[in-house]
Amino acid sequence: MTANGAQYLLPDGIRLGAAREALAAQTGLLEDGSRSRVDRTFYDTFDGRLHAAGLALVQADGRLSLLGMDAYGERSSAPFETAPERIFGSELPAGRLRDQVVPLLDVRALTPIARTRSEMLALRMLNGDDKTIARLVVESCTAQGPKRGLRKLRSRVHVLPVRGYEGAAERLKQQLETQVGLVRAPAPLHDEAVSVAGGTPGGLPATLELPLGPAQRADAAAAQVLQRLLGTIEVNLPGTLADVDTEFLHDLRVAVRRTRALQRELRGVFAPEPLARFREGFRWLQAVTGPTRDLDVYLLDFARFREALPGPAGADLDALEQVLIDERKNAQRRMSRALRSDKAVTLLADWSAFVEELVQSPDDERPDARTPIGELAGARIRKVYRQMVKRGQAIDDSGPAEALHDLRKQGKELRYLLEFFAILFPADVVRPMVKKLKALQDVLGRFQDAEVQAGMLHAHREAVAARENGAAALMAMGLLVDRLERDQAAARAEFGERFAAFAAPRQRELVEKTFV
Amino acid sequence: MSKVLATYNIKGGVGKTSAAVNLAYLAARDNHHVLLWDLDPQGASTFLFRVKPKVKGGGRRLVRGKSEVEPLIKGTDHERLDLLPADFSYRHMDLALDSTKHPTRRLAKVLAPLAADYDYVFLDCPPSISLVSESVFEAADALLVPLVPATLSSRTFDQLRRVVSENGDGPSVLAFFSMYDRRKRLHREVMDGLRDGVLQAGIPAAADVERMGVKRTAVAAFAPRSRAAQAYEELWREVRESL
Repeated sequence: MTANGAQYLLPDGIRLGAAREALAAQTGLLEDGSRSRVDRTFYDTFDGRLHAAGLALVQADGRLSLLGMDAYGERSSAPFETAPERIFGSELPAGRLRDQVVPLLDVRALTPIARTRSEMLALRMLNGDDKTIARLVVESCTAQGPKRGLRKLRSRVHVLPVRGYEGAAERLKQQLETQVGLVRAPAPLHDEAVSVAGGTPGGLPATLELPLGPAQRADAAAAQVLQRLLGTIEVNLPGTLADVDTEFLHDLRVAVRRTRALQRELRGVFAPEPLARFREGFRWLQAVTGPTRDLDVYLLDFARFREALPGPAGADLDALEQVLIDERKNAQRRMSRALRSDKAVTLLADWSAFVEELVQSPDDERPDARTPIGELAGARIRKVYRQMVKRGQAIDDSGPAEALHDLRKQGKELRYLLEFFAILFPADVVRPMVKKLKALQDVLGRFQDAEVQAGMLHAHREAVAARENGAAALMAMGLLVDRLERDQAAARAEFGERFAAFAAPRQRELVEKTFV
Repeated sequence: MSKVLATYNIKGGVGKTSAAVNLAYLAARDNHHVLLWDLDPQGASTFLFRVKPKVKGGGRRLVRGKSEVEPLIKGTDHERLDLLPADFSYRHMDLALDSTKHPTRRLAKVLAPLAADYDYVFLDCPPSISLVSESVFEAADALLVPLVPATLSSRTFDQLRRVVSENGDGPSVLAFFSMYDRRKRLHREVMDGLRDGVLQAGIPAAADVERMGVKRTAVAAFAPRSRAAQAYEELWREVRESL
């Protein structure tokens, strides 16, 4: 389809019938006769993946419908009786709707983002053969606010092109704009409903790009980044506690890890005493969220575990999966308790106040506070890169696994620095550097994952043996460990090449020249 | 993936177009996204949906893969129901197919990019046994075969089943009685003698079906309570269950 639909705002206070008559008189439209009332629940992932793809998912009248966001033209639909608080892709009925939605979701769940009640009038534009060549829907709508109160939204007219008659819809849009004087809605209806409910249309941006300048005081720049990270922790906390999907905890932990990286790398912008306290606090935060995340990763990877085994052996892993599911339940419970504790609440509140006051606080114990951030970040990036090169060069084929793990940890630190402060340096240096770093981290990640997973399998032997069909599961786990060892050896074999690209003389020169 | 259903019979005037149009309408009414491809150069279903019988570039370019199919599709008066119109050049479709490398695979190939857009694709086929029909057999999941109860209809039906079964994993054949009149002895006799392999639901000869040409829409759209509309409802229910 080439022409897009559109939504227009009707003047305040106009009734649907009057709007229809005015439209019919001025555009020569005929009434379709259908008037309907519909209660809709709009769904999206927390980070607005459907919105980003120009789509809206709606539950109404016992069905789920996937709509184009421009004028709510339907792409596909499937029976779905209720509007639950959470829908996973795997819970969607098989068919085209599921095929279209699931690839966008990945592991994310769909949750209600807005609830509306609408009165709608349908109109059609006909040609000389009385054939429908464009559709209009006039809609008056109320949306549910945060405390279940209803708020009236501005009434709208949707223009829906009919496939193959896109020119007619374009002409109709022109008429609405020039003859009827309607104004295009700045955003689709459900965006307005999301705002009314206190949400952010399109979900929350995951980007870290902040408007930093190289001459900015380092403490001010650090505060900006840390505030953004704290925001990420806070918005992901409710979803983590409610266990909506695994990404909430993942994003929360990434933000914690990034915060810790910044606490370490820019330590000179903070006074030593409070810094030590907060570093301890965030280390604790990361530790209490670790077990649940580890189990999430094993369970998300479980299909891959099964596939790695020959034929029916995959099914023998059921006992292990059940052990992990049970363990995760307990881990989630323990984590929730920790995250709801006074300790956690106080930590985040104190940290928030601390970051906010950072720039105003005395700087006699903060040697880097006034250093331009370009200078400080450049120096840190150069230093960490140099350390990585040195560390990596010392690794030979027989070196201990710990050396690779340490290199990976430092790689994460470098990655975060490059992400936080990318804007301060030339993109044509940062981007290829990040790419090489990612390639290296990927190999190191595979190396470590294989080891961690083999360790997990080993650690669960007894619990699995005690289960029904435990013996078969143990055999399958043995095969899996062999497989993981091969994976680990393969990753190690690739390390040399990836590291060579990362630490090539030209790359080193470039780093020395750029990050000064 | 969409299900492809072709209304097919070697003979003309047996109710193929009426079946295609009415079943497509009912499928769309049941919230499915539906495409009807009018393969008959006479363009009867195209006429019934008030669309111009014109395919830009002609049928030859379309089946040879030279024209993209998406821009040729037209929405109808009914939501979720689209039409790929007929074109007079379809009368030479056999020749167009014959000049391609794998003629019997061409129609399926034209439909392939639409599989993600539609739940059902109906093919309204011209009456013949030709390369076009072979290509239809290859593309379709099921053939919907209207049978007018007459002396030769059982022979025609047997022939068709034989041709389709030669094809290995060919489409399933769903035959139903069409334009029947219970008051006629011959019709009753033929119908009673040919129950095996024929669907329970059938479409009686009815004035409402003929009125489709005047109303230019499906029976269920202008006379939903009529006997003919009810018959199509039942046929659609049985076809859906047989798939």
